Amino acid sequence: MSKVKTYTYFPGCMIPFRLPHFELAARAVLKKFDIELEANPGHACCPEPTTFTGVDFEAWVTLAARNVAVSETTGLETLSLCSGCFHTLAVANHMVQEDENLKSRINERLKTVGLKVTGNLIVKNILHVLHGDVGLERIKKEITHPLKGLKFAPHYGCHLVRPLEATHMDDAEQPKWMDDIIEVTGAEVADFEDKMSCCGAPIMPSDADKAFTLTADRIEKIRASGADAIIVVCPTCYTQLETQQKKATAKFDPEYSIPVLYLGELLAISMGMKDMVISNARRYHRVKIGPLLEKIGGAA
Amino acid sequence: MAIRRSTSDLTFRNWVLEQPEGETLLRCYQCGRCTSACPVAAIDNSFNPRLFLQKILLADESLAEEQLVWTCLTCEQCEVRCPEHVKIPHLLILAKVRGLVGGNIPQAALDRARGILTGGRIIMVNESMLKTRNKMGLPDLGQPPVDQIASVLKEIGLAKKLEKLESVYGGEGNE
Amino acid sequence: MTKTVVVIGAGLAGIQVTQQLTDLGVTVHLIEKESIIGGLATHLGRVFPTGDCALCLDACEELFDGHHRRCQYRSLLTSKKNLKLYTQTEIKSITEADGKISVSIKSHPRYVLLDRCVVCLECINVCDVEIPDEYAIRGGTRKAIYRPISQGVPLAPLIDMDHCTQCGKCVEVCGVDAIDLEDKAKTRTIKADALILATGVEEKIPLNLAGYAYSESDDIITQRELARLIDPAGDTNGQVITSSGDDAAKVTMVLCAGSRDLEATEYCSQACCTYSLKHANMLRDKEIDVTICYMDLRVQKASNHYLDLARKKGVKFLRGKPDKVIVRDGKPTAIVEDTQTQQRMEIESDLVVLASPLSPLASQSEVLADFLGEYGFASRVIKEGRVYACGTATGPEDIPTSIAEANAIALRVYADLEGGR
Repeated sequence: MSKVKTYTYFPGCMIPFRLPHFELAARAVLKKFDIELEANPGHACCPEPTTFTGVDFEAWVTLAARNVAVSETTGLETLSLCSGCFHTLAVANHMVQEDENLKSRINERLKTVGLKVTGNLIVKNILHVLHGDVGLERIKKEITHPLKGLKFAPHYGCHLVRPLEATHMDDAEQPKWMDDIIEVTGAEVADFEDKMSCCGAPIMPSDADKAFTLTADRIEKIRASGADAIIVVCPTCYTQLETQQKKATAKFDPEYSIPVLYLGELLAISMGMKDMVISNARRYHRVKIGPLLEKIGGAA
Repeated sequence: MAIRRSTSDLTFRNWVLEQPEGETLLRCYQCGRCTSACPVAAIDNSFNPRLFLQKILLADESLAEEQLVWTCLTCEQCEVRCPEHVKIPHLLILAKVRGLVGGNIPQAALDRARGILTGGRIIMVNESMLKTRNKMGLPDLGQPPVDQIASVLKEIGLAKKLEKLESVYGGEGNE
Repeated sequence: MTKTVVVIGAGLAGIQVTQQLTDLGVTVHLIEKESIIGGLATHLGRVFPTGDCALCLDACEELFDGHHRRCQYRSLLTSKKNLKLYTQTEIKSITEADGKISVSIKSHPRYVLLDRCVVCLECINVCDVEIPDEYAIRGGTRKAIYRPISQGVPLAPLIDMDHCTQCGKCVEVCGVDAIDLEDKAKTRTIKADALILATGVEEKIPLNLAGYAYSESDDIITQRELARLIDPAGDTNGQVITSSGDDAAKVTMVLCAGSRDLEATEYCSQACCTYSLKHANMLRDKEIDVTICYMDLRVQKASNHYLDLARKKGVKFLRGKPDKVIVRDGKPTAIVEDTQTQQRMEIESDLVVLASPLSPLASQSEVLADFLGEYGFASRVIKEGRVYACGTATGPEDIPTSIAEANAIALRVYADLEGGR
C-alpha cells in the first residue's frame, strides 16, 4: 500500500455548511488515492472574491494573505475544494509574491497576530490534485463502474481557471483537465458553445435579472449539446445553475431540466460509491438526479 | 469622441495607479475588445468596460458612483482577450471600493462583509448544519479566529467604514 | 580578387541586394528554398505604393524612388555570369574559418533540366494528375508537373514527386529531353566572404487565434488569401467569391488580427494597414461594400494616398477591435464595439478578412538560429564584415522600405569587403 499524502484542507463557508455532500464525495474519492485532508482551525472566510473585494480590496487581500500565512505554517500544500476560495488564496499568494510593498504592508498587519506570509504557498484546486498529483492512469484503475453511453458537459467556472498566472491551470479559454477526468470515467465530453462562460452568480446581489439571463443562456447552450448532466467544481456555480434552472425551464421549456453534478459525485458514482451519492440526492439536488442515476443504473 | 468634463482632479486616477496592479490601467489603448468580449455588455449596452477604463484614465470619479460597476461578473473574459493584459475586472473592483464612500454597494455585499467581520464567515452556521456534518462523519471545523480578523484589519479601519455605511442603509432589506 | 557573397532568400530584398552586388562585380550565390524566386510577393498581385505587379519590382537598371522597375523574368537574374541561383535549396550548415564563411547547401531535384527546357509546357498538358494548387483559394488545381505561377522564375516547370505517378508521358512528349525522372539532389559547400540573410516573412496562418473562427469557415480569410482572390491570374480570375461560389457583396476587414497582442504576436507588422487599404480600394472598384475594423491606422508616408483614396471611395471605417469573428447561419459575423458611437455591433458579411501578422521565416531554420534576435528577426549587421541581413528578415516592413534596405546593405557589404579590411 502506498503512502498517504496529506493536504491542508481549506474549507471555506459554502461547501462545509451549505453543500457538505461536496466535501463528503471529495474525501471519499481522494481516500481511494490515499489522500487525506486536514483542516486547520486558524482559517476563516477566504474572503469571497466577488463582492468583498469591492467593499475594501486592501482588507480582502489582507485577510486572504492571513489565510495563506496560516496555510504556510502547516508546511503542506493547500487544497481548496471551492473555486472562490481557491481563486482568493491563489491570487493573494501570487500578489504577495509579486509585490514587495504589498507583502511588507500585509506582514506589518500580520505581525499583530504572530503570522508572516511569504507568498510561496502551493495552492491547489481539485483538478490540480486529480489530474496532476493523482494522474489519469491511477484514476482509471479505480473506475469500477464506467459511465459508458453518457455525455457530460464540464462547466469549469471562471474563478477556478483565471487568472492563469495565479491559478496555474492549463488554459484560460480551452481548459482540458476536467474533460480528461470525465473521459476517464468512460463517459463522453459534450461539445458546447462558449466553454468558459460565466454561470452568472457573481451579479446576483446587484442585478438578479441579468444574472438569470446569463444563467439561462448558459443552460440553453449546454442542453443544445445533448449532455446528460452538467459537471461542476464550484459550489457557487452549482447553486446558480440549480436554483436558476427552475426559473429557466419555466421560461423556455417546463419539461426540460438538466441535472448538475459535482465532479466528486461523478467520480464517486464511477468508483462504485453510488449509494453515498443517492443518500444525499434528495436533500442537496434541486434538479432531480434520479432519472440520471437510473440511466447510469445499468453501468453502475 | 465626446469627452465629458471630469468630475474631479487626478486624485481618483492616481489612487487607482497606486493600488496593487492598478498601473495596468496605463496599458489600455481603448481598442474596445473588452466590450465586445464582455457577456454583460452583450445583454446591456450601457455596460461598457472600455468606457469604464476611459473614465478612470480621464480621472472621472463619477464612475465609482455608478451602480453598473457592480454588475461586473469578474469572469475575466475581457482580461483574457485584452491584447495588453489590462486587469480590467480588478480596476472595476478598485472603482467599487472608491464608490463605497458614496454608498454605492448592494445590500448583500454589505451583509457578507459584516458576516466576515463578526463571524469569520459569509454565512450563518446553525445547529442543523453542524449536525449534518456530524452525521456525514465530517470533522468539526471549529470557530474562525474572529479576533485575528479584527486585529489585522485594525489599521485599515474597515469596521468603522461598515458602520457608517450601515447607518446610511438604515438596515433596510436583507438577503 | 573577386569577392564572393552568399545571399539566403530570393524574395524581393534578396533579389535586390544580389542585383546591386553583382552589378558592382561581386560574385553572388543566391539560395532559395522554393522552386521559383519572388517569395511572398508572388502571392500578392499588385503592390504599393504604385499598384504595380509585385514581380516587376526588382531587376536591375533604372532607379526610381528607391526601387527598381523592370520585370523579373526579363531581368538578368538567370543569365548574369557572376550570379548563381539555386532554387529548391536548403541550408545544411554555416561555419566560419580562416576569414571565410562556409555555407553547405542541398539542392533538391527539379526533374526538369533548366539548361534544356524551352518552356513549351507540353509536359504539363499531358500530365493526368490533378491536385490542389497551393496558390489557389477556391479549389483550383495543378498537375504533378507544374509551374507554381506562370510568371515564376525560373520559367521551367518542376515535378512534384510526392504526387507523380511516373507514367512517363511527360518524358515522352518532351522534344528536347529536358525531363529526367532520375534527377538527384545535389549538395555542395560554398566558401564566401560574407553572408546576407534575406529570409523574409510569411503571413501567419491564424489557426489558433482566440475568438476568430478562421479554421471553421472558408469565408474567414487572410489578406494574402484575399490578394489571391483579387489577382486576375488566380484561380477565380480575379473574381471575389465566397466559398459557396457567390460574388461577395459585403466584406469586413479586421486589422491587427493577432498583432500587437501579448497573447499572440507582440509587434506591429507595419505593412498590413496599407495592404488592407489597398485591397479595400480594389474591392470598392468592384462595388463591394467594405468595412475596416481598426485600432489605429499606421500607414507609411509613401502610401498615405491609399488612405485618402479609401475615404473617397467610401470604405467604411469602424474604430474598434472585434473580440470575435464567428460563423452564424453560415455567414462570418464580426462582434465589435464601435468605440466612437459606443455601440456593440454584430456585422454579418460575405467575407471577413483578417490582417494576420508577418512572422520571420528564418526562425523556422535551426541553422540560422544563432543569427536571430528578438521575435526571430535579425539586425542589419549581425557580424561586421561577415554576416548581414536585409528586407523583412530584419523586421516586418513594406516593399519600398525592404528594397531601400537591400540597397543600403549592398553598399555596406561592398564597402566592408572592398574597404581594405
